[in-house]
Amino acid sequence: MPKLTIDGNTVEVAKGATLLEAAQQLGVYIPRYCYHPKLTVSGSCRMCMVEVEKSPKLVTACSTEAADGMIVRTTTDKVKAARKDVLEFLLINHPLDCPICDQAGECSLQDYYMAYSLAKSRFPQGDKARRAKRRAVGPHLVLDNERCILCTRCVRFCAEVTKTSELDVMERADHSYIDLKEGKALDNDYSLNIADLCPVGAFTSRDFRFKTRAWFLKKTSTICLGCATGCLIEAHHHENAVHRIVPRPNAETNTWLCDHGRMTYKAVRAGDRLAKGVIKNGVIDLEPALREVASRIDEAHSAAAVLGSPWLSVEDNAALSRLAGDALKTENFCFDFTAEQGIRDGILINKDPAPNTAGAMLLKAARGGLTLEEFSRRIGAGQIKVVVTEARAAAFIKDVVKASGARLIVFATNKAQIPAGAYATLPYASYFETPGTFINHQGLRRRAEPAVEAQEGVKPLWEMVNKLAVYSGTSLRLHCAEDALKGINF
Amino acid sequence: MSFKLSEEFKTKAAHICARYPRRDAALIPLLLELQAEAGFVAEEAMDALAQYLELPYSRVKAVVTFYTMFNRAPAGKYHLQVCRNISCHMAGAPGLLARLRGKLGIAEGETTKDGLFTLSTVECLGACGSAPVIQVNEDYFENLDEMKLDSLLEDLRHGKHPLKR
Repeated sequence: MPKLTIDGNTVEVAKGATLLEAAQQLGVYIPRYCYHPKLTVSGSCRMCMVEVEKSPKLVTACSTEAADGMIVRTTTDKVKAARKDVLEFLLINHPLDCPICDQAGECSLQDYYMAYSLAKSRFPQGDKARRAKRRAVGPHLVLDNERCILCTRCVRFCAEVTKTSELDVMERADHSYIDLKEGKALDNDYSLNIADLCPVGAFTSRDFRFKTRAWFLKKTSTICLGCATGCLIEAHHHENAVHRIVPRPNAETNTWLCDHGRMTYKAVRAGDRLAKGVIKNGVIDLEPALREVASRIDEAHSAAAVLGSPWLSVEDNAALSRLAGDALKTENFCFDFTAEQGIRDGILINKDPAPNTAGAMLLKAARGGLTLEEFSRRIGAGQIKVVVTEARAAAFIKDVVKASGARLIVFATNKAQIPAGAYATLPYASYFETPGTFINHQGLRRRAEPAVEAQEGVKPLWEMVNKLAVYSGTSLRLHCAEDALKGINF
Repeated sequence: MSFKLSEEFKTKAAHICARYPRRDAALIPLLLELQAEAGFVAEEAMDALAQYLELPYSRVKAVVTFYTMFNRAPAGKYHLQVCRNISCHMAGAPGLLARLRGKLGIAEGETTKDGLFTLSTVECLGACGSAPVIQVNEDYFENLDEMKLDSLLEDLRHGKHPLKR
């Protein structure tokens, strides 16, 4: 284990660690563009140069292996001058279009310029090399070659992570640029990570483009509900609207985030978002809708049933189980969902598209209930006449409901989710608006935290369940999501 | 129009690939081979070669565009490459270049209408001792002056290659 000194402090690092990693261990920040902890080292940007005693020249911290007895300095005049010079080089041909650049505010060029350079450019604006400006390169990205500093993070990401190798550096010297095959789209399932990776404004997100300024964004740590992988994410929002989702890198599940996951926030503000009830195809106010649903349930008596959902949080599933057990007092409930778990593409996307299959199974273990098979059989046999469930979970019993003519009452956030033939639909707050616990495919229990407030009148699912129970004459006494879990042993 | 690697090329390519421990190492020799066949490396040829070597297309394109010795468009029968670095410059290369421009009626990077000559300027050819130097296809013509240049052009025009009689 090599022991070295960085800026006067001694640190012992693992064999093979680089100077940059050693510095990080000590909390010494070394500026970098091309270095990324999850990609191979390229050493092309020269921003991380540090002084090593007895070495005649400065060395790049990202590509120099730490050796025993090394004495490293990161704050000497030589290092400061080198950083300033590298920045001058990188900025020679960089257009000063920060006012219209989405990256402004979270741009390493801006940050490092303020921290390490502050020099006036010696190059007249008119002499800058011009390159191709904004163009869409795929469904999610815009490429502006002029802003690029050729760090090649994007090239390495496509080569090493997605293994699709769309990008490479074309030409040479001051006319080199990043490009892909003519007529081909940069369309892999993880392309938006490139917008995050890009330290400057060369690759920006088409979706986030011109939505808001980066410095207005508030950040909420939450989880992705795009599939059973349950990646940790950060929802960036401003004025009660989510604008983008970025990954929260962690050792357990994800460094990156898939494009599908990043787009899940779209449903929150989609045009088909439900704020009222739907009976058959007619939209009606929430209270009459609840009354109608309650009377249909009461009508069916013991032939009413509840089906949980792997798309709902543990708390909301628990609320549904209380609706069945305490309000409807029926045996006809089911939290039995099995789906093949595991990463489908070797990166992040799970075989199971539902985020909480494991959570629903936990509830089954605690509360019992029918197997999905038995539940379906009872619908088919006419023993169940009304089913209360969540819109996407209704797909599990789609055929048998259609065949038997049982009434389907679903909870849905968006109109597009409503299954064909649903009798009634009740709205609920999405998990960008209300908290919830989810259990991912590894069995990790993770919290979704609300980033924005739900529209007036749109309540969390447990609250809707509570109201529904009141309408049919029982109080479940749910005052918060956690109340649903009382007395349930996991 | 789809481009196909010729069987002849594939036989040669198999030999070349066998020389290297890794298949992708053969990229540059094979590009040279393609250029020798057609005089330039076409976009479709890059695609075909990428598939042949199991490399991403972008990698092949990056290599082709990096090295200026690969022609990306058809060149004339004779590719006149005038060195423009300091030794040749001091020994009179600018005069030779101007003369070629005048006689051929083309600028650097262009090809004469009869398809005979392509004119370009290149960086140091590594023959400073015999400056000024012009490379014609694969051959060097050294210690040039205007007279020698004129007779070289005449010879080439009449299909005589001064070095290959």
